[in-house]
Amino acid sequence: MNIYLPIAEMSANLFLFIGMGASVGFLSGMFGVGGGFLMTPLLIFTGVPSAVAVGTEAAQIVASSVSGALAQYRRRNIDFKMGTILLTGGIVGSVFGVEAVKALRRAGQFDLFVIISYVTMLGVIGSLMMIESINALRQLKSGVAPASRQRGQHNWVHRLPFKMRFHRSKLYISALPPLVLGVFVGFLAAIMGVGGGFIMVPAMIYLLKVPTNVVVGTSLFQITFVTAATTILHATQNQTVDATLALLLIVGGVIGAQFGAIAGQRLRGEQLRFLLAGIVLLVALRLAWSLVVHPGELFSLTPLGRP
Amino acid sequence: MGVRAGHSGTIAALAAGLLTACALLWPAVGQTPPPPLPPQPPTVPLQPVPAPQIAPPTPVAPEVRAPEGPSLPREAVHADVSTRRIAVTSTFSGTGIIVFGAVDNSRQASAESGLYDVVIVISGAPSRLVARKKSNVGGLWINTSSTTFTSVPSYYAISSTRPLDEVASDDVLKSSGIGFDFVPMTFHRSARNLTADEIREWRDAVVRLKRRDRLYQQDEYGVAFVGRSLFRSAFDMPATVTVGAFETRVYLFRDGELLSTYTTKLDLEREGLEHFVHRFAFDHPFFYGVLTVLIAVGAGMLASYVFNRNKA
Repeated sequence: MNIYLPIAEMSANLFLFIGMGASVGFLSGMFGVGGGFLMTPLLIFTGVPSAVAVGTEAAQIVASSVSGALAQYRRRNIDFKMGTILLTGGIVGSVFGVEAVKALRRAGQFDLFVIISYVTMLGVIGSLMMIESINALRQLKSGVAPASRQRGQHNWVHRLPFKMRFHRSKLYISALPPLVLGVFVGFLAAIMGVGGGFIMVPAMIYLLKVPTNVVVGTSLFQITFVTAATTILHATQNQTVDATLALLLIVGGVIGAQFGAIAGQRLRGEQLRFLLAGIVLLVALRLAWSLVVHPGELFSLTPLGRP
Repeated sequence: MGVRAGHSGTIAALAAGLLTACALLWPAVGQTPPPPLPPQPPTVPLQPVPAPQIAPPTPVAPEVRAPEGPSLPREAVHADVSTRRIAVTSTFSGTGIIVFGAVDNSRQASAESGLYDVVIVISGAPSRLVARKKSNVGGLWINTSSTTFTSVPSYYAISSTRPLDEVASDDVLKSSGIGFDFVPMTFHRSARNLTADEIREWRDAVVRLKRRDRLYQQDEYGVAFVGRSLFRSAFDMPATVTVGAFETRVYLFRDGELLSTYTTKLDLEREGLEHFVHRFAFDHPFFYGVLTVLIAVGAGMLASYVFNRNKA
């Protein structure tokens, strides 16, 4: 059954998109990741214009993170003070990101920009995860306990000005690092159609030393509101949010995530990370390939909005 | 720009030429009774001449160009489309359209005589677009040049009784904008420094890409006569077609000469939820964005409610 997507201006099978939502939802449920970094490239491979893929994916992330954020709120796992600073930065970053998308689209370079960003990001993260999980698997085999993380050590973050007390996180640190982190993640959300959890969570743990139980809730809180703002900004500035497509992806995504979560409980953390790293690297390679290989057709047409 | 100007210029020249020809051949046309047959050979004898003296006087259509023998009424073409208004809904997966028409005062004996050539052109509403060209920069394929068109038919389909080069000369085809080489396109004024070769390259790219998406199509034997005067042709419109007003032009040729044209319209409209979503997104982008977020939030919360209840 074909459906016409009003903003992407393409006709495709209804079940293709629901299926894509379900597969990425399954993976995100299994690995506990947002899935935006997989869905956006997948949408681009399907022929959805990259700007529409990015704008629409923001809306899907709202749906997939709101329930998690609520669950964390009920468990009081959100540091609202830290979250508000991250969110403020996030919205500033998103505004810049959406403007960047607008300018790059006008210049005809947005596709290139998105692909290069993805290849870089996925390549680096995939490689790091791959190395880390291989080491973990080796240690597991040799029976050596992994070195426990040192807490409470002071690093450069603690020497910055504008110090604030974050009661929930039991931290007394400068407001600048979370603000800058928020801006960066918000910018990524707007230009790549990702939530940015894969950057924010490690940064909060290793850089800001936020306790792990607060990290997930606080980052979900930030992601929900930043992607909501990004959706509205993309809709207003670029008209690249396809509500129909978003709804299909959401429906597939929530179902897939439930099954993914069940499957994820049966696999060990190290194996999961190894698998995820493999998927991330494959997507990066596939994207890089599309830049390097001779395109059969050198020309492309972009419709301009209504006169 | 140049295309348009050349277009109307050629029509004007053609019309002027025809007028001169008329004046030379029939200096007193319409005032004096037809003079005795001129010294040239009489009109080609047709087997069953449809008794012209009995035929009622046909009003001379303004499009009719070539003067004919005094005894034969002029041919004219009329046509219509199977559906004048097509609604694009969410499940739109393309549509088929039949164009049918008739040649008034047809002089051909049967459908197979091949005396007439009919060319049908359906063109969609003109749209603006940017064409971009990639080239290899340091190993990466990157868009390096672009040109803007201010008007390109969003859809363009030609169907004819024979290949176009057998129907009429390039000059005639060009003046009517028939054929992929003569699709009326206007470049943005920033393209005025392009060379003729570059213009051709960009035009060809637009035609090639549109043909790949089946938005431009040609059927060289698509028009079939069903009798002495009746003809029909089928067209298909892919799902990606841009909505708007479409113009269907029917051209009647005999011996490479354009005898008559007829124009009819059809409309492709968005309808249903589809229409609403598109209008809403462009007319009220802020509220559209807010609504999309609300839908996403609602869907996410509904899902967690449903699945958590199942678990409990």
